[in-house]
Parts: sequence; structure tokens; C-alpha cells
Amino acid sequence: MRRRCCGTPRIGEGAPRGQPPAPPAALPIDLFANATAVPLPLPAPFATGSGEVAASPAGVQEAAPPGRAHPDPHRRTLALLLPRLPVERLRRPGPVAVWAQRGAQRVVVSVSTEAEAAGLRVGQALADAQAILPGVVLVPEDAAGDAVMLGRLALWCLRFTPLVGVEAQDGLLLDITGVAHLFGGEAALRAEVLGRLARLGLTARGAVAGAPGTALALVRAGSGGVVAAGEEAAAARPLSLAALRLEPRLVSALHGLGLRDVGSVAAQPRPGLVRRFGTGLARALEEALGQAARPISPIRPPPEMQVAQDFADPVVTREGIEAALGLLLEALCRALREAGRGARRMLLRAHRVDGAVQEVAIGTGLATRDPKHLVRLFHGKLERLEPDCGYDRITLEAPGTDPLTGVQESLGTAGRAARQAELAQLLDRLSQRLPVWRLAPRASHWPERAMARVNAFEPMEMPVHWAPRPRPVRLLRRPPALEVMAEVPDGPPFRLRLGRIWQRVLRAEGPERIEPEWWRDRPDRLPRDYYRVELDSGVRLWVCRAGPMGPQGRWVLHGHLP
Amino acid sequence: MPTPADAPPFDRPALLSALRARIARLERSGATEALSARGEDAIPLSRAIDAGLPWGGLPRAALHEILAAEPGAAAGFAALVLARAGGTVLWIAPDPDAWPPGLARFGLSPAHLVLVRAPRAQDALWAMEETLRCPAVGAALLMTGALDLTAARRLQLAAEAGGVLGLLLRPDEDNASPTAALTRWRIGATPSDSASPHAIGDPAWSLDLLRCRGGRPATWRATWHGEDLVTEEGATPARQRA
Repeated sequence: MRRRCCGTPRIGEGAPRGQPPAPPAALPIDLFANATAVPLPLPAPFATGSGEVAASPAGVQEAAPPGRAHPDPHRRTLALLLPRLPVERLRRPGPVAVWAQRGAQRVVVSVSTEAEAAGLRVGQALADAQAILPGVVLVPEDAAGDAVMLGRLALWCLRFTPLVGVEAQDGLLLDITGVAHLFGGEAALRAEVLGRLARLGLTARGAVAGAPGTALALVRAGSGGVVAAGEEAAAARPLSLAALRLEPRLVSALHGLGLRDVGSVAAQPRPGLVRRFGTGLARALEEALGQAARPISPIRPPPEMQVAQDFADPVVTREGIEAALGLLLEALCRALREAGRGARRMLLRAHRVDGAVQEVAIGTGLATRDPKHLVRLFHGKLERLEPDCGYDRITLEAPGTDPLTGVQESLGTAGRAARQAELAQLLDRLSQRLPVWRLAPRASHWPERAMARVNAFEPMEMPVHWAPRPRPVRLLRRPPALEVMAEVPDGPPFRLRLGRIWQRVLRAEGPERIEPEWWRDRPDRLPRDYYRVELDSGVRLWVCRAGPMGPQGRWVLHGHLP
Repeated sequence: MPTPADAPPFDRPALLSALRARIARLERSGATEALSARGEDAIPLSRAIDAGLPWGGLPRAALHEILAAEPGAAAGFAALVLARAGGTVLWIAPDPDAWPPGLARFGLSPAHLVLVRAPRAQDALWAMEETLRCPAVGAALLMTGALDLTAARRLQLAAEAGGVLGLLLRPDEDNASPTAALTRWRIGATPSDSASPHAIGDPAWSLDLLRCRGGRPATWRATWHGEDLVTEEGATPARQRA
């Protein structure tokens, strides 16, 4: 290792051999934490209408094929590669290069177009780059920032399809099954995406293919275009080995064998390849050739229902947003009614003209599809939107729905059902802004544990043996300390000091010994002796002594008795 | 001012009472509908207190203010009113510490109690107003500090619109500002009747009706005995008019 470091790095040859340039496929920080591998439902004919409001329930029942099964022949994927993202997100004029520390070396990891024209290359040593172009602006790498930017772009891509995944540090995968016709075909969709990205100032390559692996291989190898269904293997064969995103060591080993493209590697007998180079190469090959399925981890779970509205003129005012929300809610509620479902969660996603995406979410306690009620829930939250230069697209989706059938009202229960619905709506509105709960009795005699917070929407069942006992009406969460005088060490309080004043105790009931629950408590918790005391002013308190009698015991005021 | 045609021209008290009734009708026009669905529109407290109140009890569709001279006694009295209002009740406070094991003694079941935590005053007022406008709720309690007249008036109007009984539970202060609430009480604790120094006996409260629209201030000493509020007419007059 040490010997190799002494040599000057060769220009344009990739990273030095001993050190793979970047950990492959390890996204530094997953800022959009819900990128879980959800089984992918087939996006059924999906109505992301341009200019019109439309709704469509996507099939929940259509389960995804398991990971390594044969790829779905009807699926279409658009892969995007943003090779200059670290440089372009800086938005600096002139030649710019981003460098990073790789082992003992500082290498260039991303260059702008001007810098590339001057001869800078990715993988070059930093000193070489400075020697070639002294005026270049050098910026240290910020991998977390790049990941954030890529995540934002993935959110932005939700305007094309509900199923978008992030791929390594510079790629995006869009499942465009059934959406391409809304944009006039796959080629037109690809052109639209690339054109919009170019308007945002980002260089991108895009390829459409049936298998996500093939599309990714195409963009990684530097080409693009649209591959017809069933042509994946033929399209992938002539690609260079860069398409497979292998470790440089592996690439040079394959080059040493005279294998310089995907087709020639694929022509080799598979068992031998696996024995010599491991299963990673075989898997990458199968994915690129479209023989193995490659799952997309969506940044947002695909919604069950979604409606969208595009605007020719950006919407800026609150009135405009509210009007659009009203239209979308009406359309979504109609679709929910037709499907016999009610929404539990709703998400309003506003795409700003400059590419930013803002989201507003609401939740309901009971499934609902009443637009009037939902509008009121959204009402307070719309303030969080920042329509700086206006929104050109607003979508509304229901990520979670529950079955909701029409309620048949009989003569006797009509009023009660309506009242319950009204109460649920009130609690919905309150819980958008404030925590709302009920307290349910629990099988515990320890005062702090006797009641448990439960969902306010569910009717509570009272335990049979629960009976009122002489207990305080208000239990203090932070019990203040007391000073207590007693006639005998184990006797009831005789005088007590709360704040500054000593007060005489007129009557005292107790002690009531409450032992800690050994099966639940930490072992050093002390038993408590509770007294109900009445002071000479008539004030009644629930005081307790934790610990032993005498000076070691700590007295606190734990509650107010009525 | 138009004189009612049916009243005799010189019957002053009758004229005045007719006008009062008319004003009361005007003031509470929104509430009548909501209340007619419920049957009665006042909550009974005890025989003596009901006789002292012009409505024959504590009226619904109105805001009542409770000054807590002693937190336990005031919470107990509030629980009693909430429980007798029936239905679901909401307890809105910056940090609600209502404890159902004690409240159940006054008939307030945990199944009917919903707690709302509102640390900011605006949120608390908004939540209270929304609740008071909802006829599906029996009563609502708001623990708050001093309230300005506009906010209190808003809450009173909301209570009239929804037909819900609203309680404002406030710490006691000697010169409380004017309020839009229908009644104002000061609830304190008094020593109980228990003979033994080892039993604290039934809760005993001093109930001061400080302010009552259309009624007179009064004082009672009440004891919560079993399921009932037993009152004896207070010998001492109200401490002061607030």
C-alpha cells in the first residue's frame, strides 16, 4: 500500500487500485426515513391528469412479486442519472470541481461542464486538477447535502408517478407503468422529465426499459433512450462494464481476461464466473439483462388514492389554494364513496414552480369522506405552505383508508349516530392542533400508573370492579416537597409546611401503604405511606411519605382532595 | 320604546318583567333550538341553591366562572357540574391533571372524560370555542388565567350557539375583572363535620355565588354526602362583590 501511494496517480484512470472510490450503494443519510421496502403494488391506470382532476383507486390486492422472481413483463421503469449533482446543486458560475478525501488521497469527485472542457476529470488527484486549471473553484464534498438534494428531487419526481425510489448517490428510479400515456408516450415522458430537469439547471440522463436494472445500466454506461419491452438483454449486451457499477478491482480483473462489455461477460459460463468473482457480479449481470427483478424502495408508500390538479398559471394566493383544495377533496371523496372507503390520513402535496415540494398532512380518528369536515381539518394547516413563486401542481392523496359503508339510520338511533359523528369530528379538529386523550383505568395500584392514556376515539370499556375510592381529584405530576412534623415518628402529620406557612393538621386518615410493583418497578423504589389530611382551613390534601419513618422519609404533596 | 299592547299602562313591575323576558329571549335566541332537543335547560345542584338561582339550576348554553380558592374543592365542584351536564365532557388545560379515580366520586366516569392539553392560551381558547359550538358535547371546562372580556364574550356566544355548558376554572383573585359569564362562583374548602380526628369525613365546601345575571349573590356551605349536595344557608354574606 505504502509503495503505491508514492507514485503519481495517473490521470483519467479511475481511483487507485487498492481503494475503491466510494462505498457502492450506500446512501449516506436516509433523510426520508420511510424508504422502506414496501411490496410494490402495480400502479393501476393511474390518473395523474394534466389539467383535469381525476381519481383512481390503485389495487391494494395486487401483491408484488417476491424479490428474485422473474421480472414483471408489463412493468416499465424510467431510470435517471444525475452525474453532476454535487457540482450543479452549488449553482456557481465558472469551472467548479468537488473533491473528497479518499484514503490518503484527495481526488476530484465531480466537475462542472466548463471544468471538464478544460481537461478536469472525475477521479483525478486534486493537485493535478489545480495544476491543469488554476482558476477552478474547489469545493469539499458534502455527501449529506447531496443526499438531501437527491431526496428533494425524488419528491419532485412524484409529479410524474407515485412510485419513486432513490438509487445510490446519484440515481432515481421511477416506476412509470401505466402513466406514460398521460404525457404522450414513454419517449415524450422521458423528454419532459429531462427538459424540466434541464430547466432546473441539472444535467441528467434518462432511459426507459422494462427492467429497472436495464434502465440503470443504460444510464450508467452513458447512453439513454427507450428500450422496447423484451429487448432488455439485447440493449444491455453492448454496454461497457461501467454499466454494472462494479468495484474497480473487479472491472480491471475482467479487463485482464479480455472481457470488455456486458455481453461478453454474460456469454461466459455462469458457475465459473460465480466461483471466481462472487455472486455480486452474477446478480448485477442478471439485473442488467432484465432476467432478475430489482425492487424499487419508494420514498413515499404509494397512496391508495390520489387526485391531482395542474395549473397553467401558478397559484399563489390562499384563496386559490383553498379553491383547488375544495375541488380535489370533492373528487377524492367521490372516488372514496365509489370504493366504499373512508380516509384516515390525507396528504396535500404542492409542487412549487422552482421545483420545491411542500406537504401538509392531516389525520382523522374515524374513517371519513365528508369534504366539509376535511376542509376544516386542512384549514389551520394551510398556513404552513409557502407559495413563494406559486404552485403549478397540487396533488391530494389518501395514504391510508378504511372500509366505510353507508350508515343506515333507524328511527331510534338516527340522532345518536349523528351526535357521535359530530363528536368524532370535533375531536378530529382538536387533535390536529393539540394532544387529545382519554384516561382508562389500568390494573395497577401505583397512583401514577392507575390510569393510562388511550385513544380518544375509541369507546372505553370500564372494568367491572372499578369503583371510586377516596382519591384526589387532581394528581400533581411534579409533587412539591413538604415539611412535616408528627407527634411520634410513625404517626400521622401534626403540622405541615407547604410553601412558607406552617399549618395545623385538623384530621388525618391513614396511613395507606402502597408498595411498589416489583414486577414492573426498578428495585430501589421505596414504598409509600399515604395520608388524607385536613388542615384547619378546611383544605384537604393527599400527602405521602416515601421511604422509612423518621428523618430519612421524604414527604410530598401528591394531590388535592375535594 | 314600544309598549306591549296587552300590558296595563301603569303596571310597572309587569312591564319591566315582560321587557326583561324579551331581552333574555333576544340574547339567547341561538340556544333555544339546541336546548329544546335536550329537554331541560338547567342543571340541578341542590334544592337551596336551585331556589337561589333565577333559572332553577345552573343553566346550560352559558358560560360559568369558578374562582378556585382551593384547587381540590373547586375541581370537585366542577366535576359535579360536568357529571350532571351528562354526555361527553372535555377538560382543556395547559397540563390537565384531572384524575378520574377521584372525579368518579362525583359521578364523572372516565369513559365520558376527554382531556385536551393546550399549553398556549390561544390554542386553549380556540379549543374551548370549538367545543362549545359542538352540540354533541355535554359540557366543557377550561382552566385558564385571567380572561379578557372579548374572549369571554366569544365563549359565551359559542356556548349559546351550541347549547353546551362551559366552565372557566380560574385561580382565585380578590378583585376579579368583569366577565361575560352568566355566573361567577368562588369555591373554597371548609372543615368537615367529622367528629373524629382520624377520619376526614365528607367533602365540605363554601360556595360563594359572587355574581349572577338576574339574581342575587349568596353564600352556601355544602357537603357532598353520598350522591347529593347537601346545603345549609350560609350565615355570612358574600365576602365581597367581584
